Amino acid sequence: MASFRYALRDTMRLLSRHWGLSALTLLTAASVLYILGFASLFAMNMRYMISRIEGALVVQAYMKRGETADQALELTRSSPNVASVRVISPDEALERLRAKLGNQARAVTLLGENPLPWSLEIQVQKVEHITPLVRDLMVLPSVEEVLYSGKLVERLAVISRASAAVSGVVLLLTLLISTLVIYNTIRIAIYSRKEEIEVMVLIGATPTYISLPFVFQGMILGAGGALLAILGLWSTYSSAVEAVRSTLAFVDIIVDRRLLGQFFIFLFGAGATTGWMCSWIAVHRFTSRGMRSR
Amino acid sequence: MDIRLSGVTKIFEPDIVALEDVYLSVDSGEFLYLVGMTGSGKTTLLRLISREYAPTRGQISVGDRNLRKLRQSELPYYRREVGVVFQDFKLLQNLTVFENVAFVLEAMGIPPKLVEGRANEVIDQVGLWRRRFLKPPQLSGGEQQRVAIARAMVNSPSVFLADEPTGNLDMRTSEEIMRLLLSINAAGTTVIVATHDQHLVDSYRQRLVELHNGRTKRDERRGRYFVDGEL
Ligand SMILES: Nc1ncnc2c1ncn2[C@@H]1O[C@H](COP(=O)(O)OP(=O)(O)OP(=O)(O)O)[C@@H](O)[C@H]1O
Ligand SMILES: [Mg+2]
Repeated sequence: MASFRYALRDTMRLLSRHWGLSALTLLTAASVLYILGFASLFAMNMRYMISRIEGALVVQAYMKRGETADQALELTRSSPNVASVRVISPDEALERLRAKLGNQARAVTLLGENPLPWSLEIQVQKVEHITPLVRDLMVLPSVEEVLYSGKLVERLAVISRASAAVSGVVLLLTLLISTLVIYNTIRIAIYSRKEEIEVMVLIGATPTYISLPFVFQGMILGAGGALLAILGLWSTYSSAVEAVRSTLAFVDIIVDRRLLGQFFIFLFGAGATTGWMCSWIAVHRFTSRGMRSR
Repeated sequence: MDIRLSGVTKIFEPDIVALEDVYLSVDSGEFLYLVGMTGSGKTTLLRLISREYAPTRGQISVGDRNLRKLRQSELPYYRREVGVVFQDFKLLQNLTVFENVAFVLEAMGIPPKLVEGRANEVIDQVGLWRRRFLKPPQLSGGEQQRVAIARAMVNSPSVFLADEPTGNLDMRTSEEIMRLLLSINAAGTTVIVATHDQHLVDSYRQRLVELHNGRTKRDERRGRYFVDGEL
């Protein structure tokens, strides 16, 4: 395909003959994608933190002596907000107690008949499901007591939830602004060649043939910018992980290399895609102007 | 290819009537001068034929194509059959003479070896062999003019439109360019030349059409240059 070879040659020509503009576009894309990546990582960590907190929320319901857990189990099973329920028999509870007490376990045998009640361990989908569930359980005649992780965790979860919402909005805005900035940078670069593009149309080049080098250029600059952004993010994030570990050990931060790797690959793809799409749209405006008969 | 205009009117918004009810028939292989005062509609007529403009009224057909029915996707292929020398050249400023001429063939998907052979042949023909690696800003007006001609003829179009191809050139250079145009015509290409060059028109007599205020005023087989208003 001769046309494809010409397109590649012209791409190189675009990149090298206007290297100042290319470098500027590359740096713009890199900075913008860096900010976008940063916002995404922040949002991802927020979500991660919430899910960790929510996973840790367990409601424990203890039955009255001599009552089974059947009634309470039925209630929890019928609720759509419950993620999982586990029935703990008195025997299992005793086992757990023994394990907990360790070398003092012998004391337990002194109790004679097992005094522990049936109980349920319930995990809910979301923090806000806890209060209604507790209320429902309390009115059951078979339930003696309901324990859950307390107000502190609940508050923490509410705060994380709010910041997740905020970071989501910030992320969306960043995404919008990034696309606009990249589009405008590319558009300005292409605008300086608008007469050339129109001449090409006038002498019978197809819009596709004219666009191809610009599309390749956009893809290369977008992908290159993403690569720079990823390098920057990698070093920022590594030092952030270090800092959090040494000072805020209780804060959960994502260190899963596979997840981070996937995220960076995604960012790379997003950079390349934004690059070629913006170029394509920008160049299309000028080719279609040349194609239109006034 | 033959060119037929019937009842062609071109009005620019809001009310500039550039051409009015023009009938013109040019046979395949003919050579035609288009003369007339400044603003009489010569460029407009050429641009209607190359379909840069669409007529407000009337029909234009080139070969077996009705330009009104030409689809956007067919436009590039149509334009390859119509070589145009623009009044302002429209050369790509940061490409060399060779690249400017080769571009037309490359855009058609022709392999590099063939492109090089044909582009060089045409550059030699217009006498720019030794300038082939220079860029337009490094060339004189007449040289740029010849690059524009080389570019318009390189893919052997069936129709050749030249808008004042000898504007601002001295007599000798004008004559060289004229001989080039005649040689293109001799190969069977239909040629239309819009010009103000009295010397040229009178020394190389051809069919002549004069426009006046957007209307055809004269159409003579071997017309002399005499333009109303210019004495
Ligand atoms: N794109 C346009 N928009 C508005 N008016 C136009 C446009 N192109 C041409 N005209 C008008 O149409 C008329 C004819 O212009 P045209 O360029 O065809 O003249 P011409 O014969 O080529 O003149 P010249 O000898 O100076 O090149 C002029 O009045 C001009 O102002
Ligand atoms: Mg003109």
